[in-house]
Amino acid sequence: MRCIRARGVSVSFSGLHALDDVSVRLDAGNATMLVGPNGAGKSTLMRVLLGLVRSEQGRIEVDDQRVSIDKTWKAEIGYLPEAVAFSENLSGQQVLRFFARARGVPSRRVDEVLELVGLAAASGRRVRGYSRGMRQRLGLGVAILSTPDLLILDEPTSGLDQEGLTILWQVLRDWRDAGRFVLVSSHDLALMERRIDALCVLRSGCVVAQGSKDDLRHAARLPHRVWFDVEGTDEDRIDVLCGAMEKWGRGRIERLEGRLCVEVPPESILGLMEIQSGFAGAVRGLRVEEPTLDLVYEKLLEVA
Amino acid sequence: MNRVARALLVHEYLERIRDRWVIVVSVLFALLASGVSLYGKSAEIDAAKLTGPSLITLASLVVPLVALILSHDAIVGERERNTLGLLLSLPVSRIEVLLAKLLGRAGALASAVFLGLGGAMIVSEPPAAQALMKLMSPTLLLGLSFLSIGLLISVLARRQVTAASIVVVVWFGLVFFYDLGLLGLLVVSDGAVSQETIAQLVLSNPAGLYRIQMMQSFAGPEVLRDLGMSVSLPGPNAVAMIWVAWLTVPVLVSGLLMSRRQVD
Repeated sequence: MRCIRARGVSVSFSGLHALDDVSVRLDAGNATMLVGPNGAGKSTLMRVLLGLVRSEQGRIEVDDQRVSIDKTWKAEIGYLPEAVAFSENLSGQQVLRFFARARGVPSRRVDEVLELVGLAAASGRRVRGYSRGMRQRLGLGVAILSTPDLLILDEPTSGLDQEGLTILWQVLRDWRDAGRFVLVSSHDLALMERRIDALCVLRSGCVVAQGSKDDLRHAARLPHRVWFDVEGTDEDRIDVLCGAMEKWGRGRIERLEGRLCVEVPPESILGLMEIQSGFAGAVRGLRVEEPTLDLVYEKLLEVA
Repeated sequence: MNRVARALLVHEYLERIRDRWVIVVSVLFALLASGVSLYGKSAEIDAAKLTGPSLITLASLVVPLVALILSHDAIVGERERNTLGLLLSLPVSRIEVLLAKLLGRAGALASAVFLGLGGAMIVSEPPAAQALMKLMSPTLLLGLSFLSIGLLISVLARRQVTAASIVVVVWFGLVFFYDLGLLGLLVVSDGAVSQETIAQLVLSNPAGLYRIQMMQSFAGPEVLRDLGMSVSLPGPNAVAMIWVAWLTVPVLVSGLLMSRRQVD
């Protein structure tokens, strides 16, 4: 599988470490998310990849071959900066046409992209009249215009309404399906959770953890919530069931209307499934809820 | 110049000529220049004696202003809109971005100068129009010097409003108060600062150099003497050196700063 790696990247501004020996791996066909508190170094890492910030140490590799951040490298990158605001005197179409000329993209692609980001109807209007979400969609259009191999999106969900988010999800899906690279930075883990494949947690310029979502969930060792559907089961049987569940559960059992919930470590889930089969008549269904990435992130930061 | 830089150059030119401030000041310049020419025509005085010197004064006030308006936001504007990183993430070097911006805006400045002086030429009699034609290139040179200064300000400033404030101060300082300041210096120093030093200081300012050079070109060296100015131009090589310095030094410093600075 093709991969891009940043290895041992260090950057400092006025003597303060913005990135300290950071190594990150991006796999083709995956969307990797950078996450961390403000000032963790997410945007700096992106800027190193874009050639906007020079690293004092470290290198960038593609398939284990060192690459230099030159025009050839930049030609393969699409970038959406955080809170981008294009010149207000230009129309959306004029903005895209400029970037199309600069990147050598045929002008029909401009119309395609305008359609794709849902701005075809507003393409002739000046950016001055665009809402924040429309500006963000225009920025996304600029980023994907040349169909780059690596898409770098800094806070892409910012200002987007549901329609805008749907467009963003479609772009992410297209890039992953086509086997290209996506690097996203966002504070909104809950929103991005289902749209990314891997995570890199940064704090104070250092990598705290990185890997696939499953790897990080495993590393965080957070309990899973298991829900039993006991609708219509009499109380005595539920009490017996709760007794059996307590043997596996970590915390107390929550009784809600027609449902029971227990938190268990991941390795105990199979045991709970056995209980379900033993109470076939009483338990109508079982649902396992993985810990959200928000919780995983908090746990990883806490442990680090 | 690569494809990105060429696209940026054209983009900058087209965007700048649509800038309402540039349009307003350029049209005002064209109207005033035409008015001066018409007045000169009706007064039936030699263009060299009235129209030319009046237009020199007008151009030395307005053209630096247009140039500074055009260039003050070149880099800081992109930075403030968060598009500088986007621009520099394109396959183009920082120096190429800077030059494309400078040349695109220089094109817009040339359009403003041609509009202003061209308008005056249209309403002038042929001899006056020929005299005005002589003004075209030096006026453009004056504008380019201030464009270069404005570009440096746009690289140095962290916010667009700061850049705008600085260019106002620079414009008032170099165009309005510079000569007055030198006059004050001459009076206060009570002869301690020589006339020669003052003359050199006048010529080291692009607006001052332009005024002296053009006055002398229109009406001969005696006109300066008649005006009580004891300034004489140095040789053509020295004059060319001063212009080249004003054109290139701010751009070179801007390039140096741009290439070293980390983009936030």
